[in-house]
Amino acid sequence: MAASESEHLHHGTAHGEGHGGSSGGHYPGMWIFPNPRVITRDMAGKVASMPRGFTLALLASGILLVLGVVGFVARAAADGFDDRAPWGYYMAAFSFVFMVTSAAPVAAVAFRFTKSHWRRPLSRVSELFAVVGILNIIMFIPMMLILPPIANPNAGHGNGHDLDIRRTIWFEGPVGAPHAWDLVGVIALAVTALFILWLSAVPDMAEARLTARGFRGWLYRRLSGHWYGAKKQWQAQKAGLALMGAFYFMTLIFVQFIISSDYAQSMIPGWKDSIFPVFYSLTGFQVALGTCLIILYIMRRWGGFQEYYGKSPFWSASKIQLGLTLLWAYHLFAFFITYWYGRLAVEQNIIKYLFTQSYGGLFVANLALSFAIPFLLLLWNPVRRSAWGPPLAGLSAAAGALMFSLRVMVGGANSGNIYAAFLDHVPAAAYPDLWDIFIVTGAIGAAAFTYLLATRILPLISVWEVKEGALYQRLATFTPTGKGEYLVLAKPE
Amino acid sequence: MAKRAILGLFEDASYAAEAGDALQRAGVAPTDYDFLTDTPYPEGAFGERHEGHKLYIFPLCGALVGLTIGILLTSMTQMAYPMVQAGKPILSLPPMAVVTYESTMLTAIIFTIIGIVFESRLPSFKQGLYDTRITEGYIGVLANVEETQLTEVSTLFTQAGAVDVVRENQAPA
Amino acid sequence: MQEGRPIPSRQINRELLSTILNSPKWFWIAVVLLGLIVLGAMSAAGFMVNKGLGVTGMNRPVMWGFFITNFVFWIGISHAGVMLSAILRLSKAEWRRPATRAAEILTVFSLMTAMLMPLIHTGRPWRLVYWIYTVPFAPYDYARGIWPNVRSPLVWDPSAVYTYLTSSILFVLVALIPDFAVLRDRTAPPTSGHSPTLTHRIYTLLAMGWRGNPRQWKLQIIAGVLLSALILPVFVSVHSIVSWDFGMAVAVKSWHSTIFAPYFVVGAVHSGVSAVAFAMIILRHIYGWQNYIRHEHIDALGRLLIVVATGWFYFFVMEVIFGFYGREADELAVRDLQFMQNPWNIWMMVFVFTTYFLPVALWLPRMFRRNLWIMSAACISVNIGMWLERFIIIVPGLQNKQVFTFSWYTVYSPSAVEWTIIGGTFALVSMLMLLVARVAPLIPLYDIKEAEILRTEVKIGRVTVPAVYRED
Repeated sequence: MAASESEHLHHGTAHGEGHGGSSGGHYPGMWIFPNPRVITRDMAGKVASMPRGFTLALLASGILLVLGVVGFVARAAADGFDDRAPWGYYMAAFSFVFMVTSAAPVAAVAFRFTKSHWRRPLSRVSELFAVVGILNIIMFIPMMLILPPIANPNAGHGNGHDLDIRRTIWFEGPVGAPHAWDLVGVIALAVTALFILWLSAVPDMAEARLTARGFRGWLYRRLSGHWYGAKKQWQAQKAGLALMGAFYFMTLIFVQFIISSDYAQSMIPGWKDSIFPVFYSLTGFQVALGTCLIILYIMRRWGGFQEYYGKSPFWSASKIQLGLTLLWAYHLFAFFITYWYGRLAVEQNIIKYLFTQSYGGLFVANLALSFAIPFLLLLWNPVRRSAWGPPLAGLSAAAGALMFSLRVMVGGANSGNIYAAFLDHVPAAAYPDLWDIFIVTGAIGAAAFTYLLATRILPLISVWEVKEGALYQRLATFTPTGKGEYLVLAKPE
Repeated sequence: MAKRAILGLFEDASYAAEAGDALQRAGVAPTDYDFLTDTPYPEGAFGERHEGHKLYIFPLCGALVGLTIGILLTSMTQMAYPMVQAGKPILSLPPMAVVTYESTMLTAIIFTIIGIVFESRLPSFKQGLYDTRITEGYIGVLANVEETQLTEVSTLFTQAGAVDVVRENQAPA
Repeated sequence: MQEGRPIPSRQINRELLSTILNSPKWFWIAVVLLGLIVLGAMSAAGFMVNKGLGVTGMNRPVMWGFFITNFVFWIGISHAGVMLSAILRLSKAEWRRPATRAAEILTVFSLMTAMLMPLIHTGRPWRLVYWIYTVPFAPYDYARGIWPNVRSPLVWDPSAVYTYLTSSILFVLVALIPDFAVLRDRTAPPTSGHSPTLTHRIYTLLAMGWRGNPRQWKLQIIAGVLLSALILPVFVSVHSIVSWDFGMAVAVKSWHSTIFAPYFVVGAVHSGVSAVAFAMIILRHIYGWQNYIRHEHIDALGRLLIVVATGWFYFFVMEVIFGFYGREADELAVRDLQFMQNPWNIWMMVFVFTTYFLPVALWLPRMFRRNLWIMSAACISVNIGMWLERFIIIVPGLQNKQVFTFSWYTVYSPSAVEWTIIGGTFALVSMLMLLVARVAPLIPLYDIKEAEILRTEVKIGRVTVPAVYRED
């Protein structure tokens, strides 16, 4: 596409509004190709400005963060770290924040891997969650203190029914398991995500390093090194992103496996559920994609990004969302039918504990928010083609994932004797006190606060990717006299 | 007066689109001409009329029928043979869900197929004016016009770039 | 995006309909040879029915052997059809086009073959008559007051398989209508004076008066997407329910695992897509379809298979880890048999190597993915492995079902009757695929033609990048 001479935000006028629809061609507002000539300057302006809405959001999340710290200190002072039961809500808060922030960069990684052009406006929104990975590490430190040792400290002292070594995925070792290995996993994940963010942002930082001032200018100059956009550098960057992306995805699956097993499954004696790590990962992907779409929507609606985000990321991501929502329900049923049919005492107790009795209310909310509402929304083409539908489904999924984390983590923390052979009774539900509420909202506030700060360092658009996309996509009529405009989409090998 | 069919054959999609425009300019109603192709062209490529349909109703109706059948079949058979197995309730909902799910999907799919055939206006064995070259890549522009307009339309097709014009009761060239 | 030169419609018709209009000489020889193997298998099955199940290697406690393994295997192969045509159609992957039809037809025949296995396995297949014909279309013996036990997975299973089979057949037939119209036109008499042939009459009937106007095409396209979206959940349910034939059983240790459903589904996709890739290579070779089944298509299948295989491996690891996680003595005994004791440990190693490590190693380099011999080897390897997987799941579990059994026999060893019947199923599916290629195009003509009209190019500097027109 030839570069537009006018310094208008849009690349030419073919940005879609008013075209297509019922007479053929693409749908209105689906694709937007911003003008590559002004995007860098415009983004520099956006990242440096502090609009009122942003300041308010930062303030609100900051207050929540402070309340969270207050709640944490009060909980620690009152209960210490010896017993895991009072920390159920902290575990749930960590799980929720970890679930969202660690899975979010996968949106950039996966759809870059599949060479999907629609991901381009979404990439940076998802990668920026890498910064929140630092918060994950900080929040994980108390989690190590809460986790009981694998070996039963009371082994051989009286209760003959208890296990000497409790059931974990670590079996009888290795050294430091599970605490140290879990921490290594969380750190590895955060570091890899930050590396991916850096690698992806280098071209953008290099482009802005001369014009950016103050801390940003200093940081851009330090981090963009000797990047000057040579062919070799682009090749290395792309290969690096692909390799690190694959590594990140595999690490993430592993860390989700150990976190879900150590902090939920292994906490409930006799809960042997091979699908649970998969289910946990799925919930993570569902909520992470949903959260990215919520951010995309907010920025499009109120953040001045309406000239950059077309509806295509929503429309394309909505199909993935629908798939994930259906898979979520499918995995849930695969678990449920096996336990329901098995009818072993421990299976029935776990169903009663986590699904029908103690945490029955949370489960119903979880099912409605993670499955029923998103499914009923995303079933309809007009909803999926809108900019509000997929984020709304995402919001529901996010609330559902919170219910899920509360259910399994608080349930895990309050299941009683962790060294028992099986869950031989149905424990009562543990309700939150004021400090728990502070902790949960504080964790969410802290994540939002960190993310908001990150947007002051890097703009919410991957400039080089959007520019690259403009090379490969354009709107054209099918025949010289044709009526509708269609998307012409090229994919390099 | 009864309308007569005339078919112009084009090698190029732009020529066929131009023929459509020319027909419209000549006062032929959009419902009186059609484009026949051997592969789906993007919607609107010929500037053709918008085709509405109600296909989406079919799977919904099918799903409702299947759901009802599934619930009735599974609940009634369980009640009719009330034998307790492995402590499961006589009316066990999770297994019912499995069979009901299958019956729902089956009828939804069958109804969809019926819908596709019905909405495509098939079967229609009285084929009318047609040319086998259409399935060899030629684009047919089929117009139903008054007998007096036949010559005008034929000229119009030729001017638009038709490689052949076929009329009713005339063997294809 | 598409590589290669544009192909005119007439050439597409000529080349893709060659299997129907000008059948090659070797065709009937191949059909007869495969038919003889099928006949052999039928004789073996007849012999077994006459003499009883004692002629197989099955005995207490291993009462599910080769037949049920083969049943699960063919159900698995059937998952390729919908996986390729539905998921790739929904994701608008251009490279799906030559693969969809063959995959869908493979689905139909492998499902039919799969359903033969439990029937043969019953030992008294004529009992089917009681089930079906006592009350027309009611699949149970209502007249004798026997009601289907909805609570049994063995009832869920046929309900899912027949739903999938019916849906797949209808899916294939609807997509065939435009291609039947091409055949109708190609078999039409040269002038109106000639009387139409029987072949023409049949294709006219099958094409149902298709004309190819925008309305019909619009519905055909929506049908593809809508039916894909509807069949996908059925496809997932089928192998899940097959897995629950095992997973619901508490008595057989190692079967009662919550991950079985997705583990089986991913495994089925793995073996099914490999089978389709292999079938495409064979079709390309025997029918000379180099213009249609191109290296880029096999390459794309190879890349997809790396992802599917790795997904499968993850589920496999989860299944194994949680097998040990419970630390229950009776389950550990089964795991000990599978991993430590001869010959199962050997089979286990062969299974993991052939299912994952060997094929993925072969699929990783682009050079290998574009070598048809290497791709064939990798795809066959996957299917050997996946067959073994089902065998390793079924038999060791049953062998350790009880501590004491009525028989002193400990190792299941399949008999010649079982080997013959299993061999016959492979010949049967191959024969049916060949026969169908004689009457319907195995590559959808209109899909290929659509790709041709939608293809375009984008010039960036001195590079020309292949591109397509898209509606959204």
